[in-house]
Amino acid sequence: MSRGMAMTRPLAGIRVCDFTWVWAGPFCTMQLAHLGADVIKIESARRSDTLRRLPSFADNEPGLNRAGYFNQYNQGKRSLALDLSTMQGREIALQLAARSDIVAENFAPGVMARMGLDYDSIRKVNPTVIMVSLSGYGATGPLSPYIAYGPSQVPMSGMSSLTGFPGGPPLQVGLSYGDPTGGLHGTIAVLSALWHRQQTGEGQYIDESQWEAALTMLGEGLIAQAMNGVAPPRDGNRDPAMAPHGTYRCAGEDSWVSIACTGETEWRALCQVIGQPALASDARFVRLEGRKQHEDELDATISAWTATQDRWAVTQRLQAAGVAAFPSMSAKDLSDDPHLAERGIFVELDHPEAGRRRHIGIPYRMSGTPVSVQSPAPCLGQHTNEVLRDVLGLPGDAITALRDKGVLE
Amino acid sequence: MPGALAGMRVLECGGGAAAGYATKLLADLGADVIKVETPDGGDVTRRRGPFPGSVPHPERSGTFLYLNANKRGITLDLAQPRGREVLARLAGGVDLLVHAIPPAEMARNGLDVEALLRRNPGLILTTISPFGITGPYRDWRAEELTLSNAGGWAWLIDVDAGGAEMPPLKAFGQQAHLQAGMNAAAASLAALLARQLNGAGGQHIDVSIQECVMAFLEMNFVHFSYGGRIASRLGQRLVQPWSILPAKDGLVFLLCVEEDQWRRFVEWMGNPEFAQWEVFADRFARASTWDALRPYLEEWTRQHTVEEIYRGGLERRLAFAPVSTMGDLLRDEHLAVRGFFAEIAHPEAGSLRYPGAPAKLGATPWELRSPAPLLGQHTAVVLAEAGYGAAEITHLRNEGVV
Repeated sequence: MSRGMAMTRPLAGIRVCDFTWVWAGPFCTMQLAHLGADVIKIESARRSDTLRRLPSFADNEPGLNRAGYFNQYNQGKRSLALDLSTMQGREIALQLAARSDIVAENFAPGVMARMGLDYDSIRKVNPTVIMVSLSGYGATGPLSPYIAYGPSQVPMSGMSSLTGFPGGPPLQVGLSYGDPTGGLHGTIAVLSALWHRQQTGEGQYIDESQWEAALTMLGEGLIAQAMNGVAPPRDGNRDPAMAPHGTYRCAGEDSWVSIACTGETEWRALCQVIGQPALASDARFVRLEGRKQHEDELDATISAWTATQDRWAVTQRLQAAGVAAFPSMSAKDLSDDPHLAERGIFVELDHPEAGRRRHIGIPYRMSGTPVSVQSPAPCLGQHTNEVLRDVLGLPGDAITALRDKGVLE
Repeated sequence: MPGALAGMRVLECGGGAAAGYATKLLADLGADVIKVETPDGGDVTRRRGPFPGSVPHPERSGTFLYLNANKRGITLDLAQPRGREVLARLAGGVDLLVHAIPPAEMARNGLDVEALLRRNPGLILTTISPFGITGPYRDWRAEELTLSNAGGWAWLIDVDAGGAEMPPLKAFGQQAHLQAGMNAAAASLAALLARQLNGAGGQHIDVSIQECVMAFLEMNFVHFSYGGRIASRLGQRLVQPWSILPAKDGLVFLLCVEEDQWRRFVEWMGNPEFAQWEVFADRFARASTWDALRPYLEEWTRQHTVEEIYRGGLERRLAFAPVSTMGDLLRDEHLAVRGFFAEIAHPEAGSLRYPGAPAKLGATPWELRSPAPLLGQHTAVVLAEAGYGAAEITHLRNEGVV
């Protein structure tokens, strides 16, 4: 196995039997792959992962192995093609679960049990296994039998009702936000369970409701309601504790800069930078309360200043004076940014079908056990033979027999 | 029952939602988290609110109370040499130190990476900063708003009817900071596990909030690197229906990601003629003709209540959803049956309900054990545990170090 620095990565030696698909579950297990675990994704061409079938495809040519969305969120994993609708497919899955530290799944509730792959079945063959189920509503409660998707979690968690412009409608947030919040909270739960197992030898089952995981991101809104019986209003880009605080139009097509003035020092600095030092002593704007009261006038003044300038020029002038400012970045802006390039957040992965492509990598650096993306997302079934041979110890003729029966599709 | 992380010792300083959430996730699972605050006002989230009756009070900020339950709190003036000495001693006795002090100020706050790791070679030191500790923007100032723009998220948030006149928008709350907190918690746990699994030593973890936002961009970055397309708040959605529409008595969210879901929805609507039209033939076609399709669906949604559409959707394996208010959630029956919200009394803020476990660990349950600390509440006991005598503690107090 030529897996580079695998032995020095933090989770080297940990194996994950990964039944997850779409975004939440694969995002959870990709974190473990980033950290050095051997993540084996079980999937089938009979019902392929939704993300393999969503655009954008490499050079806009569709193909199960060419989808950017799938390849972004399955980095560093291996793929075992297995038809779980066959008895032998399920037997192999159970054998792999028996040889794994962690089992992860996000099927609709009840699916794993029907396949004999629920926690109780797996625990019989692997007493210290850690199993995590990521479901829409959790494994208990009246709504537990039903499905939910990440995009639905945005309105359902209340995120939509709190996000939007004053007087405007509740909005989506541009992402299937319930998926990554569910996925990453799932990772933390798994790592915590692994810590517990290291200390005590005890494995366990983790029941995650994506809805609940999404709600933990909205403490500020839920507690406002619990305290005062009223939710915070939709307030655009404004902030209760800062002013000016907004995103302003700059010169050029659809070009914007965000500015957040944290306190009095920053306010005075901003007045200097925009060439209006007298504003700092203007009675309307001397304190936060005054600036909040006259925020429309304030925003108009700042917009007039930004409108004729380049967004990076505005950013640099304000940053030089100690005021938080940053252009609003598109994907292309991110890809072109010198700071991000120097940080090494992008990974260029050579994928057998998608070619050499840029992806977002790992958003942190570790000095002692360096983490890096070891391989691109797998093609469907790319590692079937090596997993069956090396992990399960199946001889070549047994693998051929399974293949002939269509179990490995 | 002890939590999964019982026995783990953690120190947090620098304040803010990112470090606060990172260590909250650990404290809620049983880690002993000591939060270090400045004596002059403490953590910035103490000033954020929401406050009962909207009256600001440093012990009654909902954001602070939420992020810091289950922790112990001490005050320490890191501007004084004695304060930095105390911090170094405390850091010598913990497994993990998480802080959000900007790179340029780390050393002068006694948080020099090399020095801390020399003193405690097993220490996991996790720093969370807006842009990371290297690169040209490392010392730039940033807040939640500028970070959601810096990470490319605000660019994507649909502005609905306002169109190109409306600016890129940030989502509610301090999401970028919470995302960084989650990544910091995950990486820290992995580093702690590495000490046991692979005999690794202590180390420094450098978390960039901007990069954490980027890691959440779904298919929007690869639209560019795979398809040469720049997604924006003004563009069409990938598939439709994937939108909020008006129902008889409120707003409801419709979603059909797969074709079989659309077919079940069409059948439910009584197989209307428009559903057979070529322009609405598949999910991608429906996205490009959404402006034409929307009125037809709206005609149907307006005839039904939110509850009818939500429940009817669930029964048909359709992930439709209500547009919940905070009040709806606090009253929700399913969440109540699962015991999601947890209540605890705080001496200054009274009894409140807080969001509970993001995941339920069967053998080692999440638990709300204690409310957020008052400013400096545990200073004496924590210093005593670190070996300071009563006279020394009094002296530190008199000098304004603690």
